Amino acid sequence: MIFRFIHDVGDRTINSLSSLREALKFTSLCLIHMVNPRSYNPAMRMVLTKQIYFTAVTIIPIFLMMAFIFGSIIIGAVIALATEYSLQDSIGSIIVTFVINEFAPFFTALLISLRSGTAINTEIAVMNVNKELNTLREYKIDIIDYLFLPRIISGIISVTSLSILFALIMLSSGYIFTLFYMNMDFHTYKYLLISAIEVSDILVLLLKSIAFGFVTMLIPIYSGLKTANSYTAIPISVLNGMVKLFIAIFFIEVLSLVLQLL
Amino acid sequence: MLENIALIKEVHEQLATDKAQAIARKFLLNIDEEEISLKRLSACSSIEVFYVQFIRALMTKEMSIIIIAPFSLIENLGNINDIIDKLKLINRKKNILILDRLHNETHYEGCPCNIVK
Repeated sequence: MIFRFIHDVGDRTINSLSSLREALKFTSLCLIHMVNPRSYNPAMRMVLTKQIYFTAVTIIPIFLMMAFIFGSIIIGAVIALATEYSLQDSIGSIIVTFVINEFAPFFTALLISLRSGTAINTEIAVMNVNKELNTLREYKIDIIDYLFLPRIISGIISVTSLSILFALIMLSSGYIFTLFYMNMDFHTYKYLLISAIEVSDILVLLLKSIAFGFVTMLIPIYSGLKTANSYTAIPISVLNGMVKLFIAIFFIEVLSLVLQLL
Repeated sequence: MLENIALIKEVHEQLATDKAQAIARKFLLNIDEEEISLKRLSACSSIEVFYVQFIRALMTKEMSIIIIAPFSLIENLGNINDIIDKLKLINRKKNILILDRLHNETHYEGCPCNIVK
């Protein structure tokens, strides 16, 4: 009984470590291709342009609406709480930290994961099951350059640009609420934000967005690539990919909070 | 399907997308199948998919093209000459090898190519 338990634990540990090693190998392979100029052939650039369009541009109307609705409500709640606890003096840094460092990149990553992450996981899984990936390999087309790299780069560009857009919308909503709750004029609000914002805040926003964008595409791609050879395995692959993706997003969020606290 | 055909030259020869697509379009035009360029895979008939696959093979640097069991690839194909005439219009350099089962022998009657059993 005990021997079986130890055997199972050992077996699972070895399997997990082996999967982790494989995933890290795939990640490093993608990173190597990313810095190699030869990866950027005309076909890859065409796919990249399309991916940016589908990931970042077509989402803009719904993204703006969601950013305005959720962003306004949440920033309103934060300002109301700050006013209630007499934290008006720190309102600038509260807004900057909350919006730029935390909420904008996190919310954008979640939205892109739900919309594009699932789509890419399914797309790669279907291509894998249909042996389309093998056909590309037969034609000596590097699938990392042609399929994966454009999606990963588009993820990084999309999450970063949409996070900035989200932050701008939230900061604009913040002005409406400060005007409503504190009778603050625009110049005072602008001054509060400018004096509160630091280079580190912008860096945190950019680095987090890049990390989120990277995993938002990499994990669904990897999950799709690991799909077993049947159509019934596709939903399982998407499910597993999404669970891993959300764990990765929360891990990055927690890691960034810990690093900021240090 | 135009992008599908052009992909080979874009990747292997780093040819610009518009140039690679122009070559692909020219091939399709030569066999009177230019409308395939605007279609998606799901909208193509089996013979159109076959032409795309053949042109894509022509785009590679390999000197031989092997076609395996064309009568199972193309629906309602009566005689091999129906496609060979079209393939000749676009291929002048590469060797074409067709592999098929003996029970399809009758479909190759009158074929100008060498038949090895």
